[in-house]
Amino acid sequence: MENTECIYDVIIIGAGIAGASVARELSKYELKVALLEKEADVCFGATKGTHSIVHCGIPGNRHTPLRNRGEIIGNLMMEQLCSELDVPFQRIGKMVVAFNEKELGELKKVEEKSRRNGVIDLETITDQARIKRMEPNISDDVIAVLYTKNTAVSSPWGLVIGLCENAVANGVELFVNTCVQKITVDKEQHFTVQTNKGCFKTNYVVNAAGIYADNVAGLIGDDSFIISGTRQQRMIMDKKCKGIVEHLVRYLDKGSPTGDFICPTVYDDLIVGSKVEETEYKGDVATTREGLEEWLVPHCLRLVPILGPSNCIKPFAGFIPKAMGENATGDYWIKPFPKHPRFINMVLGSSGFSASPAMAEYVALEILPYVGLKLREKKDFNPIRKDIPHINEISNKKIAELINKDPRYGRVICRCETVSEGEIVEAIKRGATTRDGIKFRTRAGMGRCQGGFCGPRVLKILSRELNKPLSEITRKGEGSIEAPYKTKDLLNGTKESRQ
Amino acid sequence: MKKLLKKSVDIAIIGAGPGGLGAAIKAREAGAKDVVLIERSEEIGGVLPQCIHNGFGLHYFKEELTGPGYIHNLAKKAEKVGLDVMTHTMVIGLNKEKVLTAATKNSIMEIHAKSIILGMGCRERARGSIRLPGDRPAGVFTAGTAQRLINIEGNLPGRKVVILGSGDIGMIMARRLKLEGAEIVCLLEMMPFIGGLIRNEVQCLRDFNIPVYTSHTITDIIGRERVEGIKFAKIDKDRKPIPGSERKVECDTLLLSVGLIPENELSIMAGVEINPLTGGPLVDENWQTSVPGIFAGGNVVHVHDLADYVTESSEQAALKALQYAEGNVFEGKRKKVIAGHNVRYVVPNGITGNNPVDIYLRVSWPAKNVVISVGEIYKKKFDYVRPSEQIRLSIPGEKLKKLDKDLVVSCEGEEEIFN
Repeated sequence: MENTECIYDVIIIGAGIAGASVARELSKYELKVALLEKEADVCFGATKGTHSIVHCGIPGNRHTPLRNRGEIIGNLMMEQLCSELDVPFQRIGKMVVAFNEKELGELKKVEEKSRRNGVIDLETITDQARIKRMEPNISDDVIAVLYTKNTAVSSPWGLVIGLCENAVANGVELFVNTCVQKITVDKEQHFTVQTNKGCFKTNYVVNAAGIYADNVAGLIGDDSFIISGTRQQRMIMDKKCKGIVEHLVRYLDKGSPTGDFICPTVYDDLIVGSKVEETEYKGDVATTREGLEEWLVPHCLRLVPILGPSNCIKPFAGFIPKAMGENATGDYWIKPFPKHPRFINMVLGSSGFSASPAMAEYVALEILPYVGLKLREKKDFNPIRKDIPHINEISNKKIAELINKDPRYGRVICRCETVSEGEIVEAIKRGATTRDGIKFRTRAGMGRCQGGFCGPRVLKILSRELNKPLSEITRKGEGSIEAPYKTKDLLNGTKESRQ
Repeated sequence: MKKLLKKSVDIAIIGAGPGGLGAAIKAREAGAKDVVLIERSEEIGGVLPQCIHNGFGLHYFKEELTGPGYIHNLAKKAEKVGLDVMTHTMVIGLNKEKVLTAATKNSIMEIHAKSIILGMGCRERARGSIRLPGDRPAGVFTAGTAQRLINIEGNLPGRKVVILGSGDIGMIMARRLKLEGAEIVCLLEMMPFIGGLIRNEVQCLRDFNIPVYTSHTITDIIGRERVEGIKFAKIDKDRKPIPGSERKVECDTLLLSVGLIPENELSIMAGVEINPLTGGPLVDENWQTSVPGIFAGGNVVHVHDLADYVTESSEQAALKALQYAEGNVFEGKRKKVIAGHNVRYVVPNGITGNNPVDIYLRVSWPAKNVVISVGEIYKKKFDYVRPSEQIRLSIPGEKLKKLDKDLVVSCEGEEEIFN
């Protein structure tokens, strides 16, 4: 598919939280925008491995002004954004704990830094009885907490999917399974972005390729940063733990309010995190025995003694990218490439999810216009996007109405999360082609049996709706076929010769 | 069996597996008028339709049948008594007042029942709940899910397979996959002994030359998109991997057979008290849970060895559920039945002593020359006991007449020592 005649205004590379946020922002203006994603679906990169916390600006130990500012503004913008996009959002508040006088001293310093950063709903509580009333299951050894109201939780994949759907509804073109291989610039500063699915010609590029942002930047000769980062191991705890903690509760880590945490999610389960470490290769998201058993489990028990490891339904890890280099400070790397200023690098990092609404505006409304992009508001921009209706969340009466329109909403496929066939078919209509794509749009497979019951049924529905044999359906795109052979294939040597 | 939509019933049975189906048939045979059997799947039978191996029905039908054959026989019985089954129907809500909310293709409905039998069976323990570390590629399945893929959907999960866990389903899948031409690299078991029935150890592992490593566990799963290999190691007495014993093997599939957990979401919704040792509801000698009028039978109470026993225990629950629906509230103070030494769990958990009772138990550890005692009122000798074999003790009425305190069930004998 050749697009060299048609010139895009902006090509965004990467449909994670950064790229999706910019896409939606740009869709408010009269622009021709394409969003390119190399994986089989949006949000299949670093964003899906993130926890769901929307931080409120309590800074860590490092100097990261862009991130600190971004967090505060992002937190303020997120509620309205989630409301427009029909994405779950809940303010739960945060408690950073101190176990001794030294840590109490550290908490006071964190409070000071936070106020300087602009956080206002903040107090250090030393009344242990009050702490216990707020969090009855917290360890008796906690002597003080730094409490803030505005910390919230949302859904990382829910938001990315919502942003992409709304961007597309407002004119953005989305291309998945599209991997950027080469970028050239001509005399007029037009970029030609070559992919495995054809060429795209554009005036501006936003490099939001996350873990691979340095590879993409390298295509244009920008070697000013490399992507490193950390792997962060976490555990999801069974829904029956709902209510064991009500706030995000977090340890201090060497004076920084970024230690391990236990946090409720918008889906009624709990998340415990994180074992943070550097890895041999970027993007490594393997969990380790040491990380889970020797770090997360004991730290979790120390903070909330009744939250035992048998409640874990899924350990997982995310990789949080970070731009490093000679001029890098560890903060977000959001800047034009000086040699070709219409190529904008946009690498977020820790708290990227929280800061994303603010960072998207920064790129779309400040940086891009600064390097020449003209913005004309679209008169018919529609900010509202509706999620797939989930029978798990609505009244019996509303379910009956749904079933009237489409009987498949009455056929439950995922027992643990009560997900109906109607929702799964709708997810496929909205772009899911893989089992994980279904999972992120409907939650089928995210419950306590982790897809044991619904798995084969979801594969069958995908096969039927996509008109592909079951033996071609994948977990998450190329290379991850779930059930590659038909029975008797191996005996008959139909697929490959037997070893 | 005609499909049926109803609002108010005498007995509602959740699950049409070998338990629920047997219970429903028995209730009808005993004269129950309004019985509804609710099944979430497309067909009746629970997990049996995918169990194409034989070994079912030896006790119940005095025949050797496959899983589908066993269900077929039960279906014929159901036909004779005129039984209404709702398939494609998932119970998504249940409360103490015995009102079920069920979702079907036709509607969402409320069913008010005089008594309820929980027959939801078990689900498999998944990778996450044993916190198996490593990458998270496609190609890791629980053994039962793989069984469904092969025997119902007609697709193989892979060609070079490692199996973790020597429960019955793991062993059966080792044989099944080998018969399909796959290579079984090895079967790993954390305990020093095989977890399932001897019959399966012989007919699935030994007969098919499957390499078996006991006292081993998986330490890493390798592969970004699809399984490429696993690392495994010997473990010490504290179940920690022994340094230096780690080995890596190539494979493209990992099957997990690491335990069955009673499916108790609805039980919890209804406020039924759960036995922490089984994960299923606490029940008394009438198979009644802590909520009056809600009964439970089959694997949802505890994991049975054979489908035959699942049917039998559910039939007993059915008779009691019918009596309850007809107004009998089963009075009587209950004494607790408690798991003691080397006993992993006992069922039932409370008895009145007014009737003879069957007590079911499993031991925690293999032992020989044992005496299993029920308090001071009953003793029985066994040459050998093992966790994979459910034990039934039939306590006669006279032994229970002077029941005045809780009963501790213990197993004393020579516990096996493994090197």
